[in-house]
Amino acid sequence: MSNEWIDPKRRELLEWLCDPGRRLGIDRAVAAYTAAKEGALGRLPEMEEMRKEVRKIKEGSISRMDELVRQTVDSIADVKGTPYLARDAAEARRIFCSIVGTGKLVVKSKSLTSEEIHLNSALEDAGNVVYETDLGEFIIQLRKEKPTHIINPSVHVPREDVARTFSKLLGRDVESDIPSLVGVARAFLRDKFCNADVGITGANVVSAKTGTLFIIENEGNARFVSNAPPVHIAITGIEKLVPTLSDAFKVVQTLPPYASGVLISAYVSLVTGPSKTADIEKTIVYGAHGPKELHVVLLDNGRTEMAKDPILREALYCLRCGGCLYECPVYRVVGGSFGDNYFGGIGLVWSAFTGDECAVAVAIDACTKCGRCKEVCPLEIDVPKMVEHLKSNLASRGYVSKKHAEMSENIMRKGNPFGIYERRQ
Amino acid sequence: MAMAGKILYWRGCMSRLKMKGIADSTEALLGLLGANYDTLGGGEGCCGSVLLRTGQQDAARSIAILNTEKISSLGYSDVVTSCPGCFKTMSSEYPIIIGRAPFNVTHISQFLYRRRAEMAGHLHPIRARVVYHDPCHLGRHMGVYEEPRALIRMVPDVELVEFKYNRSKALCCGAGGGVRSAFPEIAVEVARMITGAPLKATGASIIVTSCPFCNFNLKEAGGVDVIDLPEFLLRSWRGSE
Ligand code: SF4
Repeated sequence: MSNEWIDPKRRELLEWLCDPGRRLGIDRAVAAYTAAKEGALGRLPEMEEMRKEVRKIKEGSISRMDELVRQTVDSIADVKGTPYLARDAAEARRIFCSIVGTGKLVVKSKSLTSEEIHLNSALEDAGNVVYETDLGEFIIQLRKEKPTHIINPSVHVPREDVARTFSKLLGRDVESDIPSLVGVARAFLRDKFCNADVGITGANVVSAKTGTLFIIENEGNARFVSNAPPVHIAITGIEKLVPTLSDAFKVVQTLPPYASGVLISAYVSLVTGPSKTADIEKTIVYGAHGPKELHVVLLDNGRTEMAKDPILREALYCLRCGGCLYECPVYRVVGGSFGDNYFGGIGLVWSAFTGDECAVAVAIDACTKCGRCKEVCPLEIDVPKMVEHLKSNLASRGYVSKKHAEMSENIMRKGNPFGIYERRQ
Repeated sequence: MAMAGKILYWRGCMSRLKMKGIADSTEALLGLLGANYDTLGGGEGCCGSVLLRTGQQDAARSIAILNTEKISSLGYSDVVTSCPGCFKTMSSEYPIIIGRAPFNVTHISQFLYRRRAEMAGHLHPIRARVVYHDPCHLGRHMGVYEEPRALIRMVPDVELVEFKYNRSKALCCGAGGGVRSAFPEIAVEVARMITGAPLKATGASIIVTSCPFCNFNLKEAGGVDVIDLPEFLLRSWRGSE
């Protein structure tokens, strides 16, 4: 295999490496994150037990993912929501487009799963206007970039650049102090929430028995998105299903300290079916103050296949807290180029199933397998082991860089990777 | 067998060919300790670690089989390595490939720690503040954290300090996993994440480590004296300060 597949992704990695602006954004975020997380975990000694329980919950859930999918579909239908199972990204996009239609105003809260299926461009191509309302997502949507962190999608954009982006949006100079930047987004998006025809959210965890979606956030935008428009569509990967409400609550307690260094996020919304009232003559009417319709798209897109791999299935336990990214030495220097649609070591595994294999095959060579991610992961997910396994899968399919192939040849012929001639004794 | 009482000092490609000071100092120290050891000279070869790390399983298998036959047929049952990569590969990955543990493998820091009593009286003071860098393959992967530190502390007058992130949370030097060959630019930037602010915060003038790859890469990052553990102990023994 020639090495042309390497070049574009290699360029992207080196571009990131050489960009002081993005490095600055990440460095500031890492410093703030690690201090906050250490503080939060210091106040949560019970987390040691909790995260072990969550690991067991995830192990159990992934081993019966099929069954939980069936149960979730039934329970959502029971509460008058409309469930869908999308086998792949294309099917998920078709489902969304048929629900949304055309000429609609759509507001979204952050959902990496929606990025995974390239939802925004599909909805826009169908003639809709889509606004991201999570501040970070809003920033990168305006900048026409892709997210670079699963919790903080615009982590690589320092405040000075955000100010430039917002100045362009408003056609006037915007101060680069962070509170006024937040104010700009708040003012701009306010009426979009109430005028939107459709709100799209993800879900961090779903309780299969009750069909309840748990949406965790700090900004309050997901509440608006899931509540103000007449139609709410949620998308979530089938690995997010757990058996019961109390299982889901354990996940909810584990995520925030690792995701953003807080004891609990500002808002946890639980959504079980569309809004309803029976206040007049005990007759149920849907769409009282909240949405009249709730659609839930459960996405497979490689997850069933992942669950069959005895080593890579561990990636399905991932809570997407993003903690391992902030703690990853390679992510620190190459940021959002370290992966494809997901990032870091765990992201390489996710991207291998849901993104561009070629990009993964290049980025994986930037992983030192140092194992720090496993050490900081609340679920102790063995990322380096998975990365090594994935690397050998890719290598056996021909993805071996010229450098690594040379090294191997040198070892076989000369007895060392450098190709130095040694006199035998 | 003939070599039964003897240890085999497996220098590893990096110490044997690129960071020769590490292998030479280690041999000098082993000599001072009167250790009964051999090396395989120019016939040593590669342990296969980089092949495993870069997904080249078949090549790694054949190297593991070749090395096992070579070492076992010479009759060695104890192998000591300088490189944590060789240590991890030979002690925890060869047994999987071969189906049994072909010989005992220890890292030089463990070997020296066991013979620390014989070193104790010989070490001269080194007046310096030093910080120990945990190599990922030795620390997180193999759980060896304390032996190197105990050995450094044996040197009189040394002030051993710690990085904020140490032991299981230690930062990676950036060289491992084939990154140094695939992306040297990334490897050195990752090393600078150690030799920059984290090093300054310790106030140390020397980084002691016990991996030739970490040593090489931290030196590439520049601006700091990096020394391998046996090199450091030899410097103290010889009292060249
Ligand atoms: S692998 Fe672990 S630390 Fe990383 S995002 Fe997933 S749950 Fe969080």
